[in-house]
Amino acid sequence: MKRDHDDRCGVRGSGSGSSPSNGKAKMWEAEQQQGQGGGNDELLAALGYKVRSSDMADVAQKLEQLEMVMVSAQEEGISHLGSDTVHYDPTDLYSWVQTMLTELNPPQNHHNTILIQDENNNNNILIDDSEYDLRAIPGIAAYPPESQTNSKRQKASPMESGTVTVSEPTRPVVLVDSQETGVRLVHTLMACAEAVQQENLKLADALVKHVGLLAASQAGAMRKVASYFAQALVRRIYGIFPEEPHDSSFSDVLHMHFYESSPYLKFAHFTANQAILEAFATAGRVHVIDFGLKQGMQWPALMQALALRLGGPPIFRLTGIGPPQPDNTDALQQVGWKLAQLAETIGVRFEFRGFVCNSLADLDPDMLDIRPGEAVAVNSVFELHRMLARPGSVEKVLDTVKQIKPKIMTVVEQEANHNGPVFLDRFTEALHYYSSLFDSLEGSSSSSSTDDHLMSELYLGRQICNVVAYEGVERVERHETLAQWRARLGSAGFEPAHLGSNAFKQASTLLALFAGGDGYRVEENNGCLLLGWHTRPLIATSAWKLPSTTAES
Amino acid sequence: MEMEMEMEMERKMKKKKGEAEAEAEAEAEVCFDENLLFEVLKHVDARTLAMAGCVNKQWQKTSQDERLWELICTKQWANTGCGEQQLRTVVLALGGFRRLYKLYLFPLSNPHTPPKHLRLGKDELHLSLSLFSTRYFEKMTFNHRTT
Repeated sequence: MKRDHDDRCGVRGSGSGSSPSNGKAKMWEAEQQQGQGGGNDELLAALGYKVRSSDMADVAQKLEQLEMVMVSAQEEGISHLGSDTVHYDPTDLYSWVQTMLTELNPPQNHHNTILIQDENNNNNILIDDSEYDLRAIPGIAAYPPESQTNSKRQKASPMESGTVTVSEPTRPVVLVDSQETGVRLVHTLMACAEAVQQENLKLADALVKHVGLLAASQAGAMRKVASYFAQALVRRIYGIFPEEPHDSSFSDVLHMHFYESSPYLKFAHFTANQAILEAFATAGRVHVIDFGLKQGMQWPALMQALALRLGGPPIFRLTGIGPPQPDNTDALQQVGWKLAQLAETIGVRFEFRGFVCNSLADLDPDMLDIRPGEAVAVNSVFELHRMLARPGSVEKVLDTVKQIKPKIMTVVEQEANHNGPVFLDRFTEALHYYSSLFDSLEGSSSSSSTDDHLMSELYLGRQICNVVAYEGVERVERHETLAQWRARLGSAGFEPAHLGSNAFKQASTLLALFAGGDGYRVEENNGCLLLGWHTRPLIATSAWKLPSTTAES
Repeated sequence: MEMEMEMEMERKMKKKKGEAEAEAEAEAEVCFDENLLFEVLKHVDARTLAMAGCVNKQWQKTSQDERLWELICTKQWANTGCGEQQLRTVVLALGGFRRLYKLYLFPLSNPHTPPKHLRLGKDELHLSLSLFSTRYFEKMTFNHRTT
């Protein structure tokens, strides 16, 4: 990668120090640097490079030449550049590029000889912020591979030593290579997050502004992800925390759009339903407790499957739990009413109860009205992680679950660790995670309306904001990985219940229906199912039961 | 996929209407027993059944008979995992077999999807039913919105 070459040579150069090692050192004349205010390009300045705006086109052209020459010179080796040549102040791109070019090729235009005199920098500090190996970021890995650009240049430049010609003289000089900017964008985001972590808020502020500029040059998923993360960083830096919107009806709307535009929620519902169905087997009376009813989208499919059960449907009770509404409308009851109508249509005896509470930890077993002789299932889709915001909550919830002795508990959670103690780690994890998620939305956007798409992004954007900007009890999006949940549930006394091959097959079939289904992957992991985009698993469904004691009918 | 099928049907309808009606008039003598047509259509595949609906009004009426589409949806396997009558009640309540096929089973059996899904199995049927019931519920929500 071009930048690697730059850095490698640059680093080696500064290692040679300020004393010329042998006669091969060359002196270059430089026009006096006017300091920061003298028309240097802002974007590059923020990243530590000094380039005059007027020289930008020239520098870009020379960088291209340099890369072409380096590529062709690879057989001969360019290591001599590292040891023999002296590089003064590699952050001064214009001069540095001249050095490199002239080292690799005899100079053609002598009037360009430059002497570097930097009065501002006494020590040759290379501001190298390439601590992050960006190739490891999956989102970037999903971009067009670099080999395309490199091979194109190799084919285009049959270089002979001694000629420094631009092989495609008619090609317009690209000042902003979007792939390069994409990498810079991620760079800057990470640098900003690090600045925030170190409480260097002024630097963070400057960096986040440049994220905005860089993001503007991107297209698609990368730009959106970057914008959301930048917004969240701004909130964190300035301490702007708008009151958590308690208007759950808008959240529900967003949730619905996310349901429509991608297979994640459907996957969650169908795989959980399959586990519940199998656990209920031939029970005559069943009771499902849904920790987050929302619009009740999971239950029509379960009801239909129960209706088609051999031997006829059981009596189906549903307890739906939800947050309090600001305007006191009973959203839960409305959903329950609709489900009751559906149940009547397909011939299932149905009973609904809505339960309003601020936190699942407020639940007690007696509130749930478990009747003797009924098979109970507990269902939690993206609800458990919120309990981790307050110490002791999740333990209380799991304890309550144990006391009601369900046949099965289904848990669907995001497959990511957004709950680590170190902010920067959380930030990095979240960047990877949401990049993949946004990528997948882009990939399959043809099958849904633009409304759905936009709303889904907003839905995810809110999560990003919570992960990055909030702390303490307000930070509820405390996602943890399957492995972490396994440990937690295991130590609470639950045993894993394997999701069968039916669930896997249903999931695979579901994906076949989605355009862009090529990118989605279902994988099985010790009885749990994960849905991901390309190589990155994004959500995990698992099922749990209590060690068998006296079984309920 | 829904739209494709409808458009295809319309096109063929216009084409065949001309010829078919001329023929039908000529054969007005022959009492075209609907039952006979029904019996014949029991044995055709989905594509043929859909196209049969483009011949004329009588054929359209017969080919849209739910019982025929029920056969299309279920005949590929001996055991759907649920009782016949049960399935019928539920599917008819949710919108019928023809719609079930059009919305979900047809895309799943579409030759454009990866080859492994060419055969319609129990899994495809059950998934389609899940999506069908969810869709019905969603439509309900939209129509019966209360403040």
